[in-house]
Amino acid sequence: MSMLKPLALLAIISTAAPALAQAPQFGQPIAPADLAPWDIGIGPDGAGLPPDRGTATQGEMVFISKCQACHGEKGVNGTNDALAGGSIAPGKPALKTVGSYWPYATTLFDYVRRAMPFQESKSLTNDEVYAVAAYILNLNGIVSADEILDAQSLQKVKMPNRDGFIPFPRYPK
Amino acid sequence: MLLKDEKAWQFVFPMEVKSVITRPSPGLLLKGSGFYEISGLAWSGNGTIRQVEVSADGGLSWALAALQGPVLPRAPVRFRSAWQWNGGSAVLQSRATDDTGMMQPTRAAFAEERGLRGFYHYNAIASWSINEKGEAANVYA
Repeated sequence: MSMLKPLALLAIISTAAPALAQAPQFGQPIAPADLAPWDIGIGPDGAGLPPDRGTATQGEMVFISKCQACHGEKGVNGTNDALAGGSIAPGKPALKTVGSYWPYATTLFDYVRRAMPFQESKSLTNDEVYAVAAYILNLNGIVSADEILDAQSLQKVKMPNRDGFIPFPRYPK
Repeated sequence: MLLKDEKAWQFVFPMEVKSVITRPSPGLLLKGSGFYEISGLAWSGNGTIRQVEVSADGGLSWALAALQGPVLPRAPVRFRSAWQWNGGSAVLQSRATDDTGMMQPTRAAFAEERGLRGFYHYNAIASWSINEKGEAANVYA
């Protein structure tokens, strides 16, 4: 019995190796230029932010025409997620918004560019994304109306809930 | 995942050990007292289901349920247990334990650890109340 098991395992390994070599060759390598349009992730530290810019004053027009229908005037009382105000104070239901919950301003750029407006995502220019991100931050009292947000200034924005996250205590091994 | 204070757990990916009784359950009527099979599903994002226990008295007493194989990691497992319904009110619960040793918490224990404001990854013991008509309903027990 004790000898049989390793032998059986060896047989599986020796037959598996040629089978792997003959595996069907699905797909093909992707060229860096083809990958680039998809590689749009922005790090919390701002890594990947493009060299464009915008202000809240400019963003207000973008917001009114592209965002307000769902998110409401000044980002509240819309049919979709509130973007301003809110609270995660203990003892009552939480309203998680960019202002009350999000730890990084850079995520706002990533998310808006990637996913908004819902019905025509990736339609905004980088300048418009910076501007509307600035407007949403301004609604939350985080940046002033004329502060220019770009790759350098956006990653320096300190969000109110920046220190609100702790590691999950039970990561699986 | 927002906790009961103003802190939140960052990057919580695993669905921890969880189970639910699918029969009886709301929408399924018990037709008179007698023998029934309690049956449901258990799963864990952290490993393999080791055991499932079933209670018909709101967690005062527990009986080990039978598991239907194959019992595989991160896969739902069907469990079943015999139950003699006396026709009175009852509270059915299932409580799964996985091979990391984690057992589903009571709703009170879950709320004590992380509050009830998080919404995602809720895995406390679920309860179905059974009334004298044989109707099942979701209750917090």
